[in-house]
Amino acid sequence: MMGVRFDPRTKLLLLLLCVICTMFAPSLRYELVLVCLIAVFSLLSGQFGHAFMGTLFYGMIYAGTLLSVTKMTGTTQAIFAAFLGLVNKVYPCGFMAGLMIKTTKTGEFMAAFYKIHIPNRIVIPFAVMLRYLPVVKEDWHYIKDAMRMRDISPSIKNICLRPIMVAECLYVPLMMAASNTADELSIAAVTRGIENPNPRTSLAQIKFLLRDLIAVFAFSIYLVIGLIGMV
Amino acid sequence: MIEKIRLDNISFAYDGTGNGKIKNISFSVSPGGCVVLTGRSGCGKTTVTRMINGLIPEFFSGELTGSVFVDGENLADKQLYEIAKKIGSVFQNPKTQFFNTDTDGEIAFGMENNGVPRQELIKRVKKTADNLNITNLLNRSIFSLSGGEKQKIAFASVYAMNPEVYLLDEPSSNLDTDAICDLREYIQILKSQGKTIIIAEHRLYYLKDLADEIYYMDAGEIKHRWTQEAFLNLSVHERKQLGLRSLNQEEPKINDKSLRNDNADIEIKDFSIGYGKKDVLTDINFKANKGDIIAVTGHNGVGKSTLLRTLCGLQKALRGNIFWNGEVQNQKMLLKRTYMVMQDVNYQLFADSVEQETCFGIKNPDYKKVEQVLKELDLYELKEKHPNTLSAGQKQRLAVAVSMLCDKDILVFDEPTSGLDLESMRMVSELMYKLAKMGKIIFLVTHDFELVSLACTRIFPLG
Repeated sequence: MMGVRFDPRTKLLLLLLCVICTMFAPSLRYELVLVCLIAVFSLLSGQFGHAFMGTLFYGMIYAGTLLSVTKMTGTTQAIFAAFLGLVNKVYPCGFMAGLMIKTTKTGEFMAAFYKIHIPNRIVIPFAVMLRYLPVVKEDWHYIKDAMRMRDISPSIKNICLRPIMVAECLYVPLMMAASNTADELSIAAVTRGIENPNPRTSLAQIKFLLRDLIAVFAFSIYLVIGLIGMV
Repeated sequence: MIEKIRLDNISFAYDGTGNGKIKNISFSVSPGGCVVLTGRSGCGKTTVTRMINGLIPEFFSGELTGSVFVDGENLADKQLYEIAKKIGSVFQNPKTQFFNTDTDGEIAFGMENNGVPRQELIKRVKKTADNLNITNLLNRSIFSLSGGEKQKIAFASVYAMNPEVYLLDEPSSNLDTDAICDLREYIQILKSQGKTIIIAEHRLYYLKDLADEIYYMDAGEIKHRWTQEAFLNLSVHERKQLGLRSLNQEEPKINDKSLRNDNADIEIKDFSIGYGKKDVLTDINFKANKGDIIAVTGHNGVGKSTLLRTLCGLQKALRGNIFWNGEVQNQKMLLKRTYMVMQDVNYQLFADSVEQETCFGIKNPDYKKVEQVLKELDLYELKEKHPNTLSAGQKQRLAVAVSMLCDKDILVFDEPTSGLDLESMRMVSELMYKLAKMGKIIFLVTHDFELVSLACTRIFPLG
């Protein structure tokens, strides 16, 4: 993975800024620029695929929203505009969070949390959760295979025609796997002393550098721009 | 005699379920000793290990009497993280033993929690990798590792913490023969360092000359205690009666009992498989007939799962064809004709009762046939039950029932006996016989040589 490594605290801060930005977003265009800003950050971090797919997908949502506002009328407009409005609020944060998870090692998260003095009882569940997400991704591949062998592949056609069945196929095995996985992950952590209240050390070194400052500064400026309504 | 570990009349029952409870367990292990706990699935051996690393009663609650002492100190007075400094635990599932997503971080993880200074961390990660011969695994993503490699990292993470006692809970369950060989070497290293080792395991061949004592558990109690010598002197008959796995790991010798004839039912011709443009295996040629049970063997990473997925129509073959009764099969046709019973069957059970599971996704199910199939597989009594409440073997049979109702011709089993004791393994092989008799073709990917010798009509070695 090429690219600049940012401090995990920077990424957390940026995520927070994204949440505030979307909360106060004065216009749709403001959201679009925010997504582009995250895409630039993503490129700098070396996540080209993430930047490209994320922007492309948002482009579609943006177009959809514009269409629903300008071309639709009545109930359809209400439904679509409300739904897409919600997506617009959530999307930038999801985009940023995805990037954070992709580019940060568990050890770095732990080190960062420790440095900002977050208590163990918050750090541990959070770390288990982060670690759990990639397991879900692995599980998903197996489940997809299993569905295809029973002629219920999660294709767009099936999602439209038999949505309940597709949903059932997904959540039943995922939930099954989830409780086991969460238990086993926690066991692996507690038997290696994660609950130790004494100061923790870290192999991963994290440093807040100039680049981190610039990134935080850029996003903060954008927030201020939004707040005073320049876009 | 000084004792490292002493269990004093322990009884425990998990809240809610009757499984895995133990009764009146007492034994002690001297420093540097190696004790193996064995017995059928569900005999309580894992429960005993959980007593020693403190997961009971901290993590698993239930009714507990008796005490565990380590170096004369009662574990009941200690926190899990204090116990973790002395007692290192390695578990069976490599997939969920990780906390970090990179190997270096994972090896350092336990030491970080204990507050080892960074300079020392770096030194010890390197030394651990050297000692365990895994420097090639450093600086990798966990997700790029094979199951065996993951298990090595899990082991390394505990090794780096340098505990005095090692607790291994079925560490070989998900490993192939080579990886088990490496695991054996690790245990030898520990022994040479004078560590105390306790292993819960049903696969005994790799431990037979490492264990000082072997305890046999049944229904939660220790029923036999053997020294290494006494254990090795058990007759084959005695061993089988106790439901214990073979003590030898020999390449399976099977007479080619194949029903092969000139009119092959399935023919794989000039087949190449892989992902994208990358060939995994090339020029595979193979013929088989209905009723064949074929063991697909080969080292980890040779492409067994890729072959299975291609055979099932889950991915495209790069070149070559599969013929069914002389007719070329495309991906879609293969998906219709084959069914895979996965290693983790939970992924393929979707409905909320056994009966509904068999009809799931079928538009007009034939209930007569459902009944017949369920009876044939001893599942009829369970038809109202939720699939999640079934035992591992029952779940496997349920997956097979599904395949029978979908009229699949080819069945593929992926490691159907990983972690199973002798009896359950025999039941799997009987199931395969039954299916073969019905005229199915069965492909079986396994590292279980006992199963291969017992069930298969032929071996298809890869690589």
